[in-house]
Amino acid sequence: MRTYILQRFLQMIIVMVVVMLVSFIIVELPPGDFLTTLREQLTDQNVDPKVIDSTVEMYRARYGLGENWFIRFGKWAWSLMKGDMGYSMQHNRPASELMGERLSLTIWISIATLIFMFVVSVPIGMLSAIKQYSAWDHSFTFLALLGVSVPSFITALVFLLLSVTLLGATTVAGLFSPEYVTAEWSWAKFVDMLKHVWIILFIVGLGDTASTIRVMRARMLDTLGEPYIDTARMKGLSGAKIYFRHALRVAINPIISSIGLRFPQIISGSTIVAIVLTLPLIGPLLLEALLGEDVYLACSILVVLTLALVIGNFLADLALAWLDPRIRFEN
Amino acid sequence: MNSDPDSDKVLNIRDLQVSFRSIAGTTRAVNGVSLDVRSGEIVGLVGESGCGKSVTIRSIVGLVPSPPALFEAGEIWLRTRRGMTETLALHKNMKALRQIRGRDVSMIFQEPMRSVHPMMTIGKQITEGILEHEVVDPAEAYDRTVEMLDLVGLPNPAAQMNRYAHELSGGMRQRALIALALVCHPQLLLADEPTTALDVTIQAQILELIRDLRERMSMSVLLITHNMGVVANLADRISVMYLGKIMETGTVEEIFKEPAHPYTQGLLASMPSLFSQPKTHLQSLRGVVPELAMVPKGCVFADRCPYVMPKCDETPPVVELRVDHSVACWLYADGGETQGSEDAATAEPSLSSEDTSGDSQKAVGVIPVLGTEPGSDASQEQLADSYTAQLQIENVALHYPILRGLLRRQVGTVRAVDGVDLTIRRGETLGLVGESGCGKTSVGRLVARLVEPTAGRIRFGADGGLEEITHISQKEMKRVRRAMGMVFQDPLSSLNARMNIRNIVGEPLMLHQVAKGRAVDDRVGELLEMVGLRAAHQSRFPHAFSGGQRQRIAIARALATEPSFLVADEPVSALDVSVQAQILNLLLTLQQQLSLSMLFIAHDIAVVRHVSDRIAVMYLGKIVELGEAREICVRPVHPYTEALLASIPLPMPGLETLREMPKGDLPDPANPPTGCRFHTRCPYRQPICEQEEPPLRQIAGNADHFGACHFQDELHLEGVEEIEEIYAPAAAAEGK
Ligand SMILES: Nc1ncnc2c1ncn2[C@@H]1O[C@H](COP(=O)(O)OP(=O)(O)OP(=O)(O)O)[C@@H](O)[C@H]1O
Ligand code: SF4
Ligand code: SF4
Ligand SMILES: [Mg+2]
Repeated sequence: MRTYILQRFLQMIIVMVVVMLVSFIIVELPPGDFLTTLREQLTDQNVDPKVIDSTVEMYRARYGLGENWFIRFGKWAWSLMKGDMGYSMQHNRPASELMGERLSLTIWISIATLIFMFVVSVPIGMLSAIKQYSAWDHSFTFLALLGVSVPSFITALVFLLLSVTLLGATTVAGLFSPEYVTAEWSWAKFVDMLKHVWIILFIVGLGDTASTIRVMRARMLDTLGEPYIDTARMKGLSGAKIYFRHALRVAINPIISSIGLRFPQIISGSTIVAIVLTLPLIGPLLLEALLGEDVYLACSILVVLTLALVIGNFLADLALAWLDPRIRFEN
Repeated sequence: MNSDPDSDKVLNIRDLQVSFRSIAGTTRAVNGVSLDVRSGEIVGLVGESGCGKSVTIRSIVGLVPSPPALFEAGEIWLRTRRGMTETLALHKNMKALRQIRGRDVSMIFQEPMRSVHPMMTIGKQITEGILEHEVVDPAEAYDRTVEMLDLVGLPNPAAQMNRYAHELSGGMRQRALIALALVCHPQLLLADEPTTALDVTIQAQILELIRDLRERMSMSVLLITHNMGVVANLADRISVMYLGKIMETGTVEEIFKEPAHPYTQGLLASMPSLFSQPKTHLQSLRGVVPELAMVPKGCVFADRCPYVMPKCDETPPVVELRVDHSVACWLYADGGETQGSEDAATAEPSLSSEDTSGDSQKAVGVIPVLGTEPGSDASQEQLADSYTAQLQIENVALHYPILRGLLRRQVGTVRAVDGVDLTIRRGETLGLVGESGCGKTSVGRLVARLVEPTAGRIRFGADGGLEEITHISQKEMKRVRRAMGMVFQDPLSSLNARMNIRNIVGEPLMLHQVAKGRAVDDRVGELLEMVGLRAAHQSRFPHAFSGGQRQRIAIARALATEPSFLVADEPVSALDVSVQAQILNLLLTLQQQLSLSMLFIAHDIAVVRHVSDRIAVMYLGKIVELGEAREICVRPVHPYTEALLASIPLPMPGLETLREMPKGDLPDPANPPTGCRFHTRCPYRQPICEQEEPPLRQIAGNADHFGACHFQDELHLEGVEEIEEIYAPAAAAEGK
């Protein structure tokens, strides 16, 4: 078990280093020196030359520009870890400032979407399998098919349309009511967000939830056909015990191990929705940065997202090992 | 609950009828089965695949999913702690059914590997059963579980409590499952093919355990199997089932000594036993089990029965031949007992003649191969003549690396074959036998050069002298393969499902440019007829054929280029008994016709003995004994051979083997024991066995018999005597 965790941990570190290296190469790749570009930009904006000098000097020191590449990489990585995400050319602001709230919101929404997905799809999929071919099963099989095939931005648009035309709403978009958008975090703001967030979870999570329902149903059916379930039945156990104690833990395995993979899906899914509904998430910022060749910003976002993804994967692996003795004893 | 007058019965099934409904229509899988199990009795339910055995016993405990199942008629009375209970009626009453399951009746299943929950400890799974039925505190449940694990013979039971399924071998899992089934002391144990998935030595251990527990726990057992041998030594009474009906029921002695029903007779005659005359045709039943939808009206056995008569269009009555011996056949109706038996006796000889013709091999008939009479001069000459080797492998090894982890590091080596010498003479069949994982298939693959040996030398002679093929390229190998045919275990997966039969069988012809165009069709037609199929079937696809027919196709394909050498790897182990006999007969016929040399690989020593001239016994990558087939079975010199022989369930009730069974499981082939590899299980081991590896050497006084045991010249091992006299009654019943 310990070796397993250690192995996974090392894997995680290796992946992270590789991602950072690649990002770093991308950052360094464009012709022209970052400092020159920065100086030009600042000059264009008529910034006080002294300020320009000191800013440029600050970046030179921080990133070790002009020194050899691995020192530069080290400094870059180190500052990244301290939360300094570099400088956005496009916005003329440090990247971290831009990302700030968007990043944490994105992560929270992703986690909430995951939880939403689990809470909704696992019981539905399980019940569909237990009551195979029942009305319940048929209706959810149909809904799940629908959910899988309709892209989330359509759902978002439909929702937008409906709430504007039917409810006459003016504030459907966004994560907050207008009065809270710029307000400081407070209990009231939080409550306001909760009012808005469920619909986002629904729209972002719908596709994943639907596909998870299908996976869960299929896995549960497979598991219920396994001989060890017959063994459990022959002990005289009740249906609930068989389903929850014996079948569920086996059936749910692949869903847990796919958590890590779902995370990027959620991010990209939420990006589209965020654009439609103008949500302050990280996705649109990344898109903008990529389109505007804002290298520092784009790379920082990528690195941070990968970090979240890799950590998510690691946690999923731990959960699996805890659940499944076969993995635990593999080594 | 009602009470049944017959209090001696633990289980009483009356006229059970179960159908399955599907889009294609309704098929009746169980068609009027009546069956009793009395107190303390072991009843065997025997029959070929798909005849409804599992559906019958699963119906007892409500484990048949409904829908699609329909319980159309019948009653199942089970003795429970509340008196006799009709369980079919309980299918709607889950609560009552659950109280019976595990407490009054338990069940063990065919696949121990998959019947233990993979993510729960053994201890937890068993205590769960106790806690479900009884009000006991967990500590007591724990103690009882340990006790039970001890009773089923698991070593170090307390330690097993915290182990998981994947940490146990198949045999250990089946033991754990038996403990799980019996921990609440049910009166009836249902066992659905409990040993089919296990190796023979492990099978013998589990059967012994069931027999032992029956006494100790005073329970009854209903045991399903397709292997007549398994029930012969274990059951008190046997019911023979065919296509959803019971054909015959009787005490084990009567069923084996005086089988009345033509199907029972056919089943018994189909089995190669350790007593049958080797290299002769088995009296197989003609045809195959029909699809359920195509079952004949009247007697369901009519289309395969050698005695079929006009009356058989009507359902035959169940005739009581004697107390405890009943048969459903028109042969015994009307005149009653005496006439029936006479009928059977006079009718028997015709069984054999009918069968060979039914098997479309009349041309060859039953000719014992020369050399089976070791004493005769002619055979000696023959032996000398044919002594020239066709295949010779010397000190051949095949090691597979075990790779682990992300970087596929090599963490060990499986020595699948570890220094094997073998010679196959021209026209000879060499049988290679051993338990799963001992490296038999690897030897076959090496001989056919499907893999490259790690070490050693392989020489093969197509028609002239021997030629080295150890490391020749695949291109050169293609030329050699023209003289080498191959047949594998699973007839379906070894045939390309998307190719029609003409292309499957003709492929080697085209590949080796033996024939083109029309000539291929003609040759394929010839080959198909040679293996007992119709030439007109060329355009069909494999799925249109039964398992036995597919194996015939595979054989036709293997023989397409007129090879002089055939590698047959478990060619019959996936087939039903009656079909197995047909394929063995076919192989024997073809071997004589085409004077083939053959490497015949199988796990069943009785099957191997039946077709082979010489036998090589393999254990963990090594040959441990090699010699003339009968000699090895009568006078084995290696303790492992003795164990293999002792483990074969003999289809002869009363003839129990009193020899010591090999203990424990097959060791991990990646980590074989030091010294003699068998020492961990050998009842005769001495200190030296753990240190020194015995080489394969000649037995004193027998030039053609080799063994690899330190004490082979001193030990007096027991084989299976050729007890023709003891066996006479049963042999007569088999129609000899
Ligand atoms: N759930 C099911 N749905 C439809 N048909 C079924 C089902 N279970 C069994 N059958 C059919 O019932 C028939 C009898 O099956 P059963 O499993 O009892 O045979 P068996 O004698 O146990 O064979 P085997 O030796 O292969 O285990 C078969 O034709 C099978 O296809
Ligand atoms: S009833 Fe007729 S067909 Fe059936 S087994 Fe007897 S003789 Fe054969
Ligand atoms: S060498 Fe020893 S351990 Fe091996 S088979 Fe012979 S007696 Fe048994
Ligand atoms: Mg079965």
